[in-house]
Amino acid sequence: MRALRPSLAFALLLLLGIAVLVAIVPLLPGYDPYTQNLGASLLAPGDRSLDGRLYLLGTDTLGRDMLSRLSLAGRVSLFIGFFAVSVSLVVGVGLGLIAGFFRGWVESVIMGIADLQLSIPRVLLLIAVAAILGTGVFKLALLLGITSWVAYGRVARAMALSLREREFVLSAITQGATPFWNIRKHLLPNVLPQMLIVGSYELGQIIVLESALSYLGLGVQPPLPSWGLMVSEGQTYLELDPWLSVLPSIALFMLVAGVQITSQSFTAENDMSAEVVKAP
Amino acid sequence: MAYFILRRALQSVLTVLGVITVTFFLVRLAGDPATLLLPVEATNEDIARLRTALGLDQPLIVQYLKFLANAATGDFGVSLRQRTPALDLVLERVPATLELALTSFVLGLLLAFGIGLLMRLSTSARLRTAIMWVALARQAIPVFSFGLILILIFSVWLRWLPSLGRGTIQHLILPALTLATYELALYLRLFNASLAVEQRQDYVRTAYSKGQGRTKVILAHMLPNALLPLLTIAGINLGLLLGGTVVTETVFSWPGVGRLIVQSVSQRDYPVIIAGVFIISLIFVVVNLLVDVLYGFLDPRVRLS
Repeated sequence: MRALRPSLAFALLLLLGIAVLVAIVPLLPGYDPYTQNLGASLLAPGDRSLDGRLYLLGTDTLGRDMLSRLSLAGRVSLFIGFFAVSVSLVVGVGLGLIAGFFRGWVESVIMGIADLQLSIPRVLLLIAVAAILGTGVFKLALLLGITSWVAYGRVARAMALSLREREFVLSAITQGATPFWNIRKHLLPNVLPQMLIVGSYELGQIIVLESALSYLGLGVQPPLPSWGLMVSEGQTYLELDPWLSVLPSIALFMLVAGVQITSQSFTAENDMSAEVVKAP
Repeated sequence: MAYFILRRALQSVLTVLGVITVTFFLVRLAGDPATLLLPVEATNEDIARLRTALGLDQPLIVQYLKFLANAATGDFGVSLRQRTPALDLVLERVPATLELALTSFVLGLLLAFGIGLLMRLSTSARLRTAIMWVALARQAIPVFSFGLILILIFSVWLRWLPSLGRGTIQHLILPALTLATYELALYLRLFNASLAVEQRQDYVRTAYSKGQGRTKVILAHMLPNALLPLLTIAGINLGLLLGGTVVTETVFSWPGVGRLIVQSVSQRDYPVIIAGVFIISLIFVVVNLLVDVLYGFLDPRVRLS
């Protein structure tokens, strides 16, 4: 199966490309994501406007520099992704460890909520919640985080179930350690590496979800750019200027493929559990 | 078996109940539907009159119980925009969504099955690597981007297929392809892995020792056993597929429930949103129930746990 895995080097190359896009591009002088130049709208990559300015990746309908917009959109996506993953990691690990350590009705309630959440397609849940609570980068990140805890919760609970029977936990209990002390000092350090692996996989999922919501008009709102939103804005001009949709799609692909391959290289060769348990 | 089915069915009912409860309270959190319904120049008396008419002046718990009682009879209220029962609007769209979801589901399995078999039967390692790379690359492209690329190639450039709407088989091809290929990489790896597991089994060695050829052993002996895991994962991932229809329907202007929900969100048409979420969850829960029961029949270990 080794040959069936794309190499880590390729993934890191993609991620390097994204890093350059989001970190180096904003340093280029004279371009910014918001300045409109109606005399230079819908330029193709590499075109010069009438006043001689070079637009490396062209411009959108309002004559805004595509490269700068892609770069800002990337920073927005990455912020949302990392923020949401942190939130879901904290919530998921917390609830999972509590469920696994205390067992009984606590476990039933927590896992019942998890099952309930898994029984609604995640996009649908997010649409319903976004429709009602409104949109905005911070809200969106929080929302994605809160609705994504199940993957961590399940794994953390499963690990806590076996950890709580181990000698070092039992001896701590006999010496009067409180449950929360045990969870913090004994369970948490043991599950954390595994959780970070789940998190690296989830990062790609979250970014795809964010872009899908933004595409549907329920995520990042204009004038702030998002790759998903840019694809949607470009769809109207697909015949006239396909670059508007294709460029953000390429950026999304680079980031998602890079993250996915990197996270897969963490997991064991034939272990597909991370993909199989993913929330719908 | 009857007990197993009953228990799973009860779980499903609870799930659907949970879903509409959550949606109801979320919608009420959003604000007063009465102010949304009336034009801006409405007076406070107008708002109060409408609130009484809609029963919004009653305690939340009373409203909730009433809502549940109504929902049980299929009454989700009237669409705020179209003035027709919300459930009717949603039910009109169900055939389109089912058509897309089922076609994609079957197409996805067929693709995984055909390509997976090709990979196994072929002796070219390069071909197998190439296929896997393509499938993995596909998985890293979000549904809407992939759909758009298909439109660009097949509708804009080649002009072979329509880019939006529903009606003929031609309309179905691009959206179904978009959805069906999304999980292909996962299915292929799973199919390959389970074929690899079967390959080490005693019965395979026996078959080879009887002098049967490689193709015969793979097709007649290993395949039936390797299919079960594929079916299971496909069933589990049906939720992902249903979620995917929401986005795909929007990309291709496919007149399904998902597109209706998205449109209703921008129009703040809450009764339609609730009815839509309810129907999709219902479809999802029913399908999951069927998959579980079917699996219980196929593998007795499942129903005993």
